Amino acid sequence: MSERVALIGAGTMGGVHAQAWKALPDVDLVAVLDPRRQAADALGPAYTDWDTMLSQTRPDIVDICVPTPFHREYVERAASAGKAIFVEKPLSRTLADCDAIVETVERAGVPTMAGHVLRYFPEYATAKRLVDEGAVGTPAAVRTSRMAGFPHQGIDDWYADSAKSGGVVLDMILHDFDWLRWTFGPVARVFACGLYGRPRYAGEIDYALVTLRFASGAVGHVTGSWAHPGGFRTTLEIAGDGGMIEHDSARSAPLMASLRATGSAGGGVAVPDSPMAEGEDPYFLEIQAFLNALRAGMPPPVTVHDAREATRIALAALESIETGKVVNLQ
Amino acid sequence: MTITATKKPVIGFLPAMLPSAKPAFAEFVGIADPKALADVDGVVIAGEVDQHRRLVQTAAEAGVRAILCESPLATTLAGARALVDACERRDVRLALAFPCRYSPAFKRLREQVRAGAVGDVVAIRATSHGPIAEEQKSAGVLLDRAAQLVDLSRWLLGREASEVYAETANRFYDGSGEDSALLSIKFADTFATVDARWSHSKSYPAAGEVTLQVVGTGGVLDLDMFSQGLALSSAKDGRISWPGWGSDIAVGMISDFARLVAGEPAPNLATGEDGLRALEVAFAAHRSAEREEPVSVG
Repeated sequence: MSERVALIGAGTMGGVHAQAWKALPDVDLVAVLDPRRQAADALGPAYTDWDTMLSQTRPDIVDICVPTPFHREYVERAASAGKAIFVEKPLSRTLADCDAIVETVERAGVPTMAGHVLRYFPEYATAKRLVDEGAVGTPAAVRTSRMAGFPHQGIDDWYADSAKSGGVVLDMILHDFDWLRWTFGPVARVFACGLYGRPRYAGEIDYALVTLRFASGAVGHVTGSWAHPGGFRTTLEIAGDGGMIEHDSARSAPLMASLRATGSAGGGVAVPDSPMAEGEDPYFLEIQAFLNALRAGMPPPVTVHDAREATRIALAALESIETGKVVNLQ
Repeated sequence: MTITATKKPVIGFLPAMLPSAKPAFAEFVGIADPKALADVDGVVIAGEVDQHRRLVQTAAEAGVRAILCESPLATTLAGARALVDACERRDVRLALAFPCRYSPAFKRLREQVRAGAVGDVVAIRATSHGPIAEEQKSAGVLLDRAAQLVDLSRWLLGREASEVYAETANRFYDGSGEDSALLSIKFADTFATVDARWSHSKSYPAAGEVTLQVVGTGGVLDLDMFSQGLALSSAKDGRISWPGWGSDIAVGMISDFARLVAGEPAPNLATGEDGLRALEVAFAAHRSAEREEPVSVG
């Protein structure tokens, strides 16, 4: 029983997913669809046309790794062809699109998983497990941050177009919104401040501070930054009436490299490295989880409904930034 | 510092709790009876927050030259305004004890920000977490830890807050007012979040933390105000503690207050007006939390 996978999009995420599919036994990457022929070629059998790809390779699974504005289109194509679907986050750019995606896959009855991979990162998975076990008592306050420099590696610099990407709020701290909802339950209301919608900073920096009130009464604070020039960093703090959990990626990396660049006397940047054993890479784990659920006929562990709810929180944050008002979700 | 008076200024502490480190250029006395206020040049007022207003009023009427009052000045905005006016009328210099202004790391951050190190500041993200202080319990964490962070933000930006949205909760300690407050504050084009919490459990080794992240068009400054400590793990009690080796910020503040008492300029010291501004935001935050919507400040 060898599933056949068609990968849509040969960009950064396409490359990461291709590696995961290739590392899994009994599954074949039979097509890579992307207008950039060379990029697609590097990952697998390259195609530029959907219909040709579909008829020639007859995939069982379609893995959607194109920029956000194209998610809905490819979900609809894959669903109407009866294919199982893995779709990257964010589910889509608008709530209407998300609702359409949910309806489409439900009507077509195709198993669909959303790529909220943070759930598979060991520090986040462990933190959730500890919270579930009561390690902090009743959770009261949670803070997360996700900080990086401005991403210019997307095709046509699409991240810089916040109308397409939703900026740091929709593209990056969406990860946190999903994890927070998974761990602490539904969000009742959202208030946010940020640089979204301010042309002065477009393409240069983006930064947002989002306040969440959970239905449980707990309060969350999420920092999203595309304004930190020096590399990627995440932090997590959970305080409850029975204890506290703290994590800082800058302090937990087991390996730190400060290497002199060849031919120069000056130093490079100190680069932290936090490796895990083979088979424990989060992207591998999420795709493996999808495959296992598919084979067992079980619902996928991260559904389009989950993705829709996380996106809803992010879109509420964007609305709050624009209007200066609280957005109630319940 | 130069002292123009012929004798050292006498600074009273009410209640009578003297600081451990005493600068040599002032005399420190504990005050048990408010009548003794007539004998001092300046007074530091601490203790139960609902006594602050009465004590400041008494000190002003006793004719002291300067008063350093712990936050909050009073438990109502009107009360705080009345004190500021009373001190102004009597030519008494009123200062607010916001010791974090005297953190050398914060001062360095402020210098760098004002020198343009991070370009145009777009946001500040501040936290103040720590164990509950008994005398502050009745005031709530808004008037205690949050007010201090509001003051730091105002002083850093040189701007006034125009609007605040707050989420408050009582989740850690029984019987107090709110013990956690998360404020989102607009300072013209810049925004700030202030997260004040009495949440460190008995098992947490550190005394608490104050952090600031200042984000601008040119980069980021991250401050962890009390990080200057050693990690000490003890076989005796099986715990880790963090004996601090950083500068004592209270000493810096008291030294500046001694200057104020001596009639010298002390521009870094928070004034009564600064205290009032911070309180305005704290009370607006309280209203916002009740209404579950942003409210205007001032």
